[in-house]
Amino acid sequence: MLISITIITLDARGDLGSFTSGLKSVASDAFSPIQSGVNAIVRPIGSFLAGSVHYGSVRQQNQKLQTEIGALRQQMLEQANAAKALKQLQALSALNGLTTVKNLQQVKTEVIDTNTSNFASTIDIGVGRDEGVTLGMPVMGSGGATGGLIGKVVAAYKTTSVVRLLTDGQSTVGVAYGPGQYAVLQGQGAGKPLMAQDIPANTPIPPGPAFVTSGLQDAEFPPGLPVAQKLSVKNGNSASDETVALEPVADLAHLSYVSVLIWGPQTPGTPAAGGS
Amino acid sequence: MTARDAAKVIVVVLLFLTVQQTLMLDIHFAGIHPDIMVVLPIAAGIIGGPSRGAIMGFGAGLVADLFLPTPFGLSALIGCLVGFGVGLSTVALDRAAWWLPPLAALGASAIYEVAYAAVGSILGQPQMLHVDVVGIVLVVSIANAIIAVPAVRLVGWALPQVSAEGMPGSVGPMGSVR
Repeated sequence: MLISITIITLDARGDLGSFTSGLKSVASDAFSPIQSGVNAIVRPIGSFLAGSVHYGSVRQQNQKLQTEIGALRQQMLEQANAAKALKQLQALSALNGLTTVKNLQQVKTEVIDTNTSNFASTIDIGVGRDEGVTLGMPVMGSGGATGGLIGKVVAAYKTTSVVRLLTDGQSTVGVAYGPGQYAVLQGQGAGKPLMAQDIPANTPIPPGPAFVTSGLQDAEFPPGLPVAQKLSVKNGNSASDETVALEPVADLAHLSYVSVLIWGPQTPGTPAAGGS
Repeated sequence: MTARDAAKVIVVVLLFLTVQQTLMLDIHFAGIHPDIMVVLPIAAGIIGGPSRGAIMGFGAGLVADLFLPTPFGLSALIGCLVGFGVGLSTVALDRAAWWLPPLAALGASAIYEVAYAAVGSILGQPQMLHVDVVGIVLVVSIANAIIAVPAVRLVGWALPQVSAEGMPGSVGPMGSVR
């Protein structure tokens, strides 16, 4: 018991930080092939059984996917016009020196595991340091029309990484929801909405993914990434404030593939935006 | 403990770890998955008494911590305490009774999960108390109660000649009373 307490204390103080992260990295890299092999055998069986048990939700998901296919077909029809508009937008963005997801290098990957602990909202993904992934990089997932931010890399091993999702209680994201209007989104746990506190009362918040990363100086994320949309508003800590509940733009409940943005606060060509 | 016994224990711990990191992460109820690593110290406590329960809890917990985003050493600490507690609280009981493993797994798993969240929040992770702790307790406890009997048999196979520490009778390698 004393050894456990010593390990926890040293790890929390940071004295063991590099040692434990190295140990975790070795363990993860060593276990990864076993995990992949076993998953390849048992996942189809597990999926079949899970499908039988969760028939209702699978059916709902199927309907949702059908709707998404319809929406994607519609988008393809509109793509010709959108491409033209996009070219103009990219030209404008380049003039302003702004960053968009499109002009950041991305590494697409599969989600290996979801929520390895019941007490944290994280996913394990199939890329790591070998693919250029490092701590703090933003990760995007599908959902809505554009996809959205799902979290950031909190551990990068050789071939795998751990991503802390927006909904985790330790996650905070600086966002903008209008010109000169900023807030901090706080995760509340898996399946629970994100909360933005101290929003001035009666602030008009447009529908859709109105909350995007602020990209203020020293921000953890590049500016303009879609993050969340409004769910509900309730009274805040004072009469002049409101607390807004939000849902992430990305579908965090059904993450299969995600993209890691090769970005850090010091990435060249990504100046801070947002008027800081 | 001989090298062969140690190898057997390592095999059992790795088997549980593999099942946890593959099958168990895919099975979830309301977003909560079972945690079968918790069964190891409980089974070792039933089979081998307090000290072996504590040692198994520490070892298996440390291995589990390598794959968890929560504070490193937390599973080892709680596993150690739970393994010791199970060993101690079953001293006066008939450890060969069929109902003991499921009942011990049910109760001890619940205590483990509550202690895990509470100690985690004390260690600077307050969000660990904001999750659905009741749901986690229910899912983990029930799942562990279901697998308790085979788990005790596996741990009984792995542990060396079982100590008579506080036990009413000598117990065979498969957890049965001779």
